[in-house]
Amino acid sequence: MKGHMKKILLPLLIVLLISLPFVVKSQYFLSLMITLFIYVILAESWNLLGGYTGQVSLGHGAFFGVGALVTRLLWINKVPILLSLPLGGFAATLLAAIVGIPCFRMRLAYFPIGTLALSMIALLTVSNLFIAAGALSPELLRSYEIFSRYYIALFIVLLTIIVIYYLVRSRPGLAIVAIRDNEKAAAAIGIKTLKYKTLALLISTFLAGLAGGVYAYQHVSYYYDAPFDLAWSFTPPMTTFIGGISTMAGPIVGSICFLALSEIFAVTLGEVHVLIFGFCFILIVLFLPGGLLSIKAGSHSNKSKMRKVKTWFL
Amino acid sequence: MLQTLAYGVLNGSLYGIIALGISLVFGVMRYLNIAHGSLIILGSYGALYLFYLGLDPFLSIPIVMISLFIAGIILFRLLYSNFVSLAEGSRIQKSLLVSFGLMLVIEHGATLIWTSDEKSINPSYSGMSFEVFKDFHVPLIGLTGGILAIIVILALHLFFSRTYFGKSVIAVSQDPEAASLMGVNVKRAFLISFGLSVCLGAVPSILVGLQAFSPSAGIAWFNKGIIVVMLGGLGNIYGVFPAGLFLGVVEAISVFFFGAPYREITGLVIFVLVLILFPRGLFGRIPE
Repeated sequence: MKGHMKKILLPLLIVLLISLPFVVKSQYFLSLMITLFIYVILAESWNLLGGYTGQVSLGHGAFFGVGALVTRLLWINKVPILLSLPLGGFAATLLAAIVGIPCFRMRLAYFPIGTLALSMIALLTVSNLFIAAGALSPELLRSYEIFSRYYIALFIVLLTIIVIYYLVRSRPGLAIVAIRDNEKAAAAIGIKTLKYKTLALLISTFLAGLAGGVYAYQHVSYYYDAPFDLAWSFTPPMTTFIGGISTMAGPIVGSICFLALSEIFAVTLGEVHVLIFGFCFILIVLFLPGGLLSIKAGSHSNKSKMRKVKTWFL
Repeated sequence: MLQTLAYGVLNGSLYGIIALGISLVFGVMRYLNIAHGSLIILGSYGALYLFYLGLDPFLSIPIVMISLFIAGIILFRLLYSNFVSLAEGSRIQKSLLVSFGLMLVIEHGATLIWTSDEKSINPSYSGMSFEVFKDFHVPLIGLTGGILAIIVILALHLFFSRTYFGKSVIAVSQDPEAASLMGVNVKRAFLISFGLSVCLGAVPSILVGLQAFSPSAGIAWFNKGIIVVMLGGLGNIYGVFPAGLFLGVVEAISVFFFGAPYREITGLVIFVLVLILFPRGLFGRIPE
């Protein structure tokens, strides 16, 4: 029955999203939706690496930022946006190939720390090299409208979800999950672990670069180091864990909650929504490794979780 | 040039002692504590309040030390004690994630309470320096910080090599199972080493407080610390301090040649290069 519901609901949802700009005319709401799409692309691409491959990256913002930077520079210099976007994605992939693969060769915690360092290098370098804000030229500004941005963002979200959905159900995807669960055993049955981990890394960073491209296309004017901000590295793991890691819907649920909270607290000083999400993140890592989506799963497991909470202080 | 090197060494001793705290938890219990830098910043805020009450920053070190130790014990009880029995790989992963959340909570909580403005502790002697010979100055605060760092490291070394409890902690770091068979209380050893690691943040708290700090500086200091830890070799406590000095000196030299904006970048680039060329660190071997 559940499968039937999905078959009806999913196309309905897609039709709804496609027709949204014709129903809702508010520019503000549409641009909020684009921001949501960016969060979802980034979180899904992080999930491919952190959830399915088991390689927690704390520097996804670097790939996002490189995608944004390259797309923006090409687009401003009159390369059509449909070409600049994939080029931005490839730039992010290139960066990942240079820095990420050496990190994979080592055990222990090198990958999270290496990516964290990478995102800091990128942030500092870009904020030193590009001091001025990147505003649009007058002719680009005159032709600015929100519809094309909305549809490009929507297209990339759907592309991301379809690619990851079919990837994790394919033969390489199964190999990737096997590596996460037990790398030594996977290597023992003949899976080339480095090859498949690299594949996941390259696809994931390409998608993150596309998300950056959408950001660059959406915003009229921003400082070039804004998409390199560490918040872009820290948000995807948070939203993914809170929604439900290693699931397709988890990053989407998490991103919606995150954006809703950030809108509610938009007028308060500081970033209360990150504070709340940080708390939830700790609680979920400790007690609910499946995230919000796993709450419904069964009353028995919920009882054992309650017991775990009770014994927490003992 | 000599002046630059002196600043490098003094900065490096600060890096070394920050890295020591991170290395201690990693070496003994395979925990990665991303919130270490944020806890140091909390200590700085504590020292700032004590300074407003009229206490000299260097005299407030014992108070900050004790409160950080207690904070470390409480945090371990609340957040980290569940992972003690996990396998090594998932212990790293889980502690990394939990401390990541903790880092965000501390950073944004501190922003709410103290705003994101940069603050610093300014005692009357903050700019003073000795002139050792012509054109060669040694800043008073940096020198005191370096001496304190050396004292703390010697104390830690004596603790691990001379006391019974310190030796039992070393035993746990080598083989927790065998240590527990010999009658060592592994959970208590973990608890105390985590408290000690956070408590090692007290001296950096004061030194960072005397420079400048803001809630978001925590992750940057952690990053400095973890770079030094990896330069020294992950889990190798004795490689950490030389690696800190090395990073400090290299940064100082890079400021001399490329200018101040690229100081941080040099450190990070060296880190990535070492990661690729010497995966086991400059001074190290990973005890397996």
